[in-house]
Amino acid sequence: MNTSPLNNYTLIIMTDDKQVVLERILQVTRYRGFLINGMTAKVNTGTNIATIELFVSSERPISLLIDQINKLVDIKSVDVENKA
Amino acid sequence: MTDSKPLTGGGLLFKVLEQHGVNHVFGYPGGAIMPIYDALVNSNVQHFLCRHEQGASFSAVGYARASGKVGVCMATSGPGATNLITGLADALADSIPVVAITGQVPTAAMGSDAFQETDIFGLSLACTKHSFQVSHIDELEEVLHKAFEIALEGRQGPVLVDIPKDIQMASVEQTFDASAHLKNKVKLPLADITKALDLLADAKQPILYVGGGVGMANAVEEVRVFAKETGIPSVSTLKGLGALDTNDKNYLGMLGMHGTKAANLAVHDCDLLIAVGARFDDRVTGKLDQFAPGAKVIHFDIDTVEINKRRVADAPILGDLKENLPLLTMSLNIENWQKTVQQLKADCAWRYDHPGERIYAPAVLKEVSEIMPKNTCVTTDVGQHQMWAAQHMTFDDPSNFLTSGSMGTMGFGLPAAIGAQISRPHHTVIVVSGDGSIMMNIQELATIKRYQIPVKILLIDNAKLGMVRQWQDLFFDGRLSETDLSDNPDFCMLAQAFDIKTRQITQKSEVTAAINEMLDHDGAFLLQVKIDAKDNVWPLVPPNSANNEMMESE
Repeated sequence: MNTSPLNNYTLIIMTDDKQVVLERILQVTRYRGFLINGMTAKVNTGTNIATIELFVSSERPISLLIDQINKLVDIKSVDVENKA
Repeated sequence: MTDSKPLTGGGLLFKVLEQHGVNHVFGYPGGAIMPIYDALVNSNVQHFLCRHEQGASFSAVGYARASGKVGVCMATSGPGATNLITGLADALADSIPVVAITGQVPTAAMGSDAFQETDIFGLSLACTKHSFQVSHIDELEEVLHKAFEIALEGRQGPVLVDIPKDIQMASVEQTFDASAHLKNKVKLPLADITKALDLLADAKQPILYVGGGVGMANAVEEVRVFAKETGIPSVSTLKGLGALDTNDKNYLGMLGMHGTKAANLAVHDCDLLIAVGARFDDRVTGKLDQFAPGAKVIHFDIDTVEINKRRVADAPILGDLKENLPLLTMSLNIENWQKTVQQLKADCAWRYDHPGERIYAPAVLKEVSEIMPKNTCVTTDVGQHQMWAAQHMTFDDPSNFLTSGSMGTMGFGLPAAIGAQISRPHHTVIVVSGDGSIMMNIQELATIKRYQIPVKILLIDNAKLGMVRQWQDLFFDGRLSETDLSDNPDFCMLAQAFDIKTRQITQKSEVTAAINEMLDHDGAFLLQVKIDAKDNVWPLVPPNSANNEMMESE
């Protein structure tokens, strides 16, 4: 049914280390039509800032997901490295 | 503080609600929220006991939409909390500011599958703008302030705060200054004003496409001034109804699946679409790649995610509509286009000369709309009656037409009308419902009785799930499946059991007197209007079709 090829992306997400922020990011990613291929996450305990690396793929433009994740309350920044 | 008892988490909740100007809340008590209900006794906040938590959440939505304030609802843990979810999902889909407070089992019991424990925090992720679970009494006050801030900031939406029972009972002393948290955090505007001005200056056939964001941005006046000064023909979404001046000769009414023929044809032919607080919803666009196929797009919105989501904008203007729209005001030379759309409007005008003595629902709704007092607030449920109300009633402000737009939630109308009436006690509130929808939250008749809420219920009764029946007839070869409701209860007898005055009509000749009786009655009233089960909503853009391919009445 998909007519466009899957593109792979790596998202670098900086976020306040708040309750369920990881669940929120994963829920939004799935709901907006992106497959999660892998992830790494770590927290800087000094600043309470978490860095999440999310490997995703979709035929949809990555800008749609970046905007949706950026909209979450605790997110500080979202950057993308296109690894297609 | 005059209370001799120390302040608890529950007491703090009501102090914060009062700080935010909350006078009314809607809810239902239960085990895990008892300390909050205990604190309610000593608070100045008035609580309305709904008869189902879904009713409480929709009353909060109706309250918010009718008043422009945050609606607040409360429920206990487990089933109480899950029953709020449909209302929260509705509020998220229609961008309505609501704060939902849920009780949770005590912190020590959480995660043990305790009685009435459910992970409402987890469940809230997909149906709220944001949610909190309070893990310590010292967080409570700041969390509550943030909940209000987030609900109102930027694109509005529902926020849930889950409070374990031990935290509701814990003593607390600290009080923060609410104003420290109430700052607008809308991000930098992405405003391509110069490009937009160029597009507008070049346009020969522009259309102003107005959505629900206009009312929420308090930009009704700005949009009307813009429409008048530029003379650009305008159309409205379901949620945008009331934002435009319906007497404007260039206003073409609602567009989309059940929009006016004039609106849909004009949008199809336009060369510039100026979308203001609208999001190219599938019920508006029909087949997306054939929606306004020759048009450039200027898109005003408060929410980044709506820009380029379904239609690429040639000039996106992100930010406060109230400030940005007037920047585009200019005089245009579009007289030929105006004449074209005015002719379309005249050619496609609604007809009310329905043959026979049976009652024609569009004519009833038009007559109600003409007779009802100024500033009447109308709520609807979902289905044929909803589309007829949108097509045939006129509203002078978006806060006077409350309908579940994006979610299309049956059961919305009655509790939303209760919330609207409580927020605006001096205005008439009418719920236009159907015989299918009203049964979804019929228990709220008890709320009407308890608080003597003078809501007028206009029940359009075809003894069918009419919209589904219409689609089964049109698109499923007339194979009717589970849409017959001919065994409905006697609605008048049912309403009378809740001390609500009633009248049933079946003939055209009864309509005017019945509407007047309903509107003149001081208290709640149910007017049951029996209509032909075969009546359809026209026009209709079939699924996966362009908006210029409307089906019309035989």
